[in-house]
Amino acid sequence: MLAVRCALALLLAVASLRAAEPPLTVAYSDWPGWTAWEIAIQKGWFKEAGVAVEFVWMEYGPSMEAFQAGKVDAVTVTNGDQLVMAAAGKASKGIVLTDYSNGNDMIVGRPGIASIKDLKGKKVGLEVGLVEHLLLLKALEANGLKESDVTIVAVPTNDTPQTLASGQVDAIGAWYPVSGQALELVPGSKPLFTSKDAPGLIYDFTVVASESLAKRKADWTKIAAVWPRIAAYLADPATRDDGIRIMAARVNVPAAKYALAMPGTFFLDLAGNHKHFARAEGLGSVYGSSAVAHAFNLANKVYDKPLKVEDFIDPSFLPAAPK
Amino acid sequence: MPEAPSDPVAERFRRIAARPVVLDVRALGMSFRGAGGKTVQALHDVSFQVRRREFLTVVGASGCGKSTLVRILAGLAHHTAGEVLLDGRPVTGPGPDRGMVFQGYTLFPWLTVVRNVMFGLEMGDMGRDQARSEALLWLDLVGLASKAEAWPHQLSGGQRQRVAIARALAARPRILLMDEPFGALDPQTRATLQEHLLQIWQQVDVTVVFITHDIDEAVWLADRVLVLQPPDQDHPGGWLAEAVEVPLPVPRTRAMHDLPAYRAVRERIERLIRPPRPPAAERLPVFKMTAAGDEVL
Amino acid sequence: MVRSAWRVGGDPPARLSGVLWLGAFLLPLAAWCALSYLPWLWHPQVLIAEPGDSSFSAGMRIERAAFAAAVAEAARQGQRPPQGGRVNPVFLPAPHEVARALWTGFTTPPLRRGDPWLHQSLGHSITVIAWGFLISALVGVPLGVLCGSVPALSRLVEPFVDFIRYMPAPAFGALCVAVLGINDAPKVAIIVVGTFFQMVLVVANTTRQLDRGLVEAAQTLGASDKRLLTRVIVPGILPNLYTDMRILLGWAWTYLIVAELIGASSGISWYINQQGKYRAYDNVFAGIILIGLIGLVTDLVLGWIGRFLFPWSGQQVSRASALAFAAVTLPLRLPWLLLRLARRYDPKAARPQEPDHA
Ligand SMILES: Nc1ncnc2c1ncn2[C@@H]1O[C@H](COP(=O)(O)OP(=O)(O)OP(=O)(O)O)[C@@H](O)[C@H]1O
Ligand SMILES: [Mg+2]
Repeated sequence: MLAVRCALALLLAVASLRAAEPPLTVAYSDWPGWTAWEIAIQKGWFKEAGVAVEFVWMEYGPSMEAFQAGKVDAVTVTNGDQLVMAAAGKASKGIVLTDYSNGNDMIVGRPGIASIKDLKGKKVGLEVGLVEHLLLLKALEANGLKESDVTIVAVPTNDTPQTLASGQVDAIGAWYPVSGQALELVPGSKPLFTSKDAPGLIYDFTVVASESLAKRKADWTKIAAVWPRIAAYLADPATRDDGIRIMAARVNVPAAKYALAMPGTFFLDLAGNHKHFARAEGLGSVYGSSAVAHAFNLANKVYDKPLKVEDFIDPSFLPAAPK
Repeated sequence: MPEAPSDPVAERFRRIAARPVVLDVRALGMSFRGAGGKTVQALHDVSFQVRRREFLTVVGASGCGKSTLVRILAGLAHHTAGEVLLDGRPVTGPGPDRGMVFQGYTLFPWLTVVRNVMFGLEMGDMGRDQARSEALLWLDLVGLASKAEAWPHQLSGGQRQRVAIARALAARPRILLMDEPFGALDPQTRATLQEHLLQIWQQVDVTVVFITHDIDEAVWLADRVLVLQPPDQDHPGGWLAEAVEVPLPVPRTRAMHDLPAYRAVRERIERLIRPPRPPAAERLPVFKMTAAGDEVL
Repeated sequence: MVRSAWRVGGDPPARLSGVLWLGAFLLPLAAWCALSYLPWLWHPQVLIAEPGDSSFSAGMRIERAAFAAAVAEAARQGQRPPQGGRVNPVFLPAPHEVARALWTGFTTPPLRRGDPWLHQSLGHSITVIAWGFLISALVGVPLGVLCGSVPALSRLVEPFVDFIRYMPAPAFGALCVAVLGINDAPKVAIIVVGTFFQMVLVVANTTRQLDRGLVEAAQTLGASDKRLLTRVIVPGILPNLYTDMRILLGWAWTYLIVAELIGASSGISWYINQQGKYRAYDNVFAGIILIGLIGLVTDLVLGWIGRFLFPWSGQQVSRASALAFAAVTLPLRLPWLLLRLARRYDPKAARPQEPDHA
């Protein structure tokens, strides 16, 4: 079976060498804003746009590894995690803002922990250096605590629910759907701080490797132009349910269950993209948000390389703003 | 010699002496590097010669170096002093010119009986068909032609050793080395196999070096018995105390056990191996035996 | 009779053995049923049906103690108490839920067009395992046999292998993706990394355990080193090697869960992982049970085949299964059988030659 597949891949490779450039590859993972790309895939909108692109479904961590290793041309990540990859040497630009997290990223405390303030001197399990780390730092700051006031335990995001249930930590940081899993697994646990408390702290990006952007400018422009169509499909009450059904099928859960994840994600349509792509200080702009993430990352030694955040953001591939 | 050999016996030894030397062991020494860096000397200055078609047995107390000696002859262990010559050439490793039958069962369990016997022939690059027909003849010789297609695990211990003998002989060795081959067998089987071995030996041109700790076996089978002794003050390793000629005619019969010549040789060897010793330590928890039985207080 | 079956080294009769085999599965199943259907046995939580005036909401799972406290509190305050029934934690679904999940898993088409059916996912996982294990074995078994036979080689190879086998295979995930891309190759590589090093050591050890007497006997029969390997050591260790491979194959499955989550997500472990994320624990259990079943069936089949592969080991084989085996393998053995038949009628081969006792 594998041999057949290898042979096929080889054939395809040969064929595409003879035809034109190979299809662009995008690694996407289980987050509503990114799963939404599935709508365009299923509806054939990329074909309509005349661009060959292949979306590869991955776990979040592995998708970043694959992008870092140059095995895919683009990846869907948060703006903060893009900087982590950039510090490790991957030049890339965020060209589409799919959404910002509006409650789906959470710090969940075990029963008995009522607020972030109760975490003083306690243990928090999360994936060090990734987005929930940033969320925790923001939460601590908002409550007058410092990172040194808690003990951070490195736990892969997928394992955080079990870790919280086992009582080894007092709180965890996770994104949807893992955060929901934790809430359900540990009766009496509750969200202490969510991305809704810090809107704009976590923007969700589709990020393209700089080499690919330079080489295939026209193709990426076509791909970026598909996004507003997806956002509109989800915004229109007539088509929203169909959109959710397609997304739920991608993650292989019933649509009704999946619909629960939607409110925690604020989808950004074309207007929203232009609004949040506008250069500004503060979390209302992705520039400001990335600057905050960068400062946090530096301060907390997630990495120690000073970066110019504007180098990693490029809204020029999007269609012009609607009138 | 305690008793003058009868004429046919003297004639036999004269003839053997006239034959070429097959195996020449000169000042053989062997020491193992044991635990903690200490060396254990197993053999010290052992020299003897074996002539063609001679039947030599080696006896000695447990641990005096019998197995070590035969393993060196087979090339499976390397001596640390002296030399071993086979037909004048030094022995450097195992080879088909020295067949070996071990105390444990070493038939290849994944081969049928006949394939086991074919093994040495095939190693000698004989074609499979010819090897097979030849192997069947050897099996016939040891009386196991009917078991040719059996698996080794289906044979009795005695049958296995007979197959092992057939396997060793089939490779046409110059010399057949046997390390207590019948040690694990019950006395009846053992006696049968001893007779059987002598019959085979009479039909095959092979020289035999046979290790045993059973003095009766050693004397009854052999032309000559080598007596090995464990290390003592004068000898740092196992050493060769004496080579005793057995003044009995061939072919041997069980009745010879009662001959004075047999008993004399047997006693002599017995005294060499088990010198009279003072009684065991007083401290052992043994009962003092009296004519009336043990004295329980 | 029954008593002696339970003694150390006892020999249970065939009937009892069958019953025990069934019991091995039925007892845990009975325990699971008891835990699921007898509320007084465990059921540590309460599923809120009617929150009353409490702070709970319908559908919440509450620890029993917390629920009792809330009821008592409501009684004191004169409020409506919360109501609900005792349940197990969400991560322990009941047997019938898992059975239903298994059934629907195989009978409903995938939600997403183009996604594999459950059996296709399983097939994909088995393919990855098979390739990983095959590649491991193709290199690992010869290397292990050589290490077990040639002490110098063992000294050269085994220390490093022993060192590297302690490294967690999952840690190589990113490296595998960087080198091999995002499709099946890095997954196969993880299985290889996970099994290869263990295999070398296990096979080397098995080889060393071969009775030295057999090797020495072969040496005194004139076997060269090469023939020692092919004619003595390999056939000698074959039954144990076969058992080793059966055990190692089980290990390969434990690396699958890692392998399938690197690069493009795929296979049964992605299914399990994804269903876990969305708390569909009935599906999770179904997936886990499927893996267990595949492992069990593979091992049973391999064990059954093993009885015919090594006739010298003296294993008892029933006539029925001997016939079945002969029938199944007939196509494989046909050419060889014909060859043997042809040789039997070769007049030259039939006449043994007289050996000359020079
Ligand atoms: N591999 C070894 N390493 C160290 N010492 C050894 C080794 N093999 C044998 N010896 C020692 O060499 C001496 C002779 O051993 P060997 O096996 O030759 O005795 P044996 O005469 O065959 O005894 P037995 O009649 O009990 O078989 C013994 O003291 C034994 O402890
Ligand atoms: Mg011995």
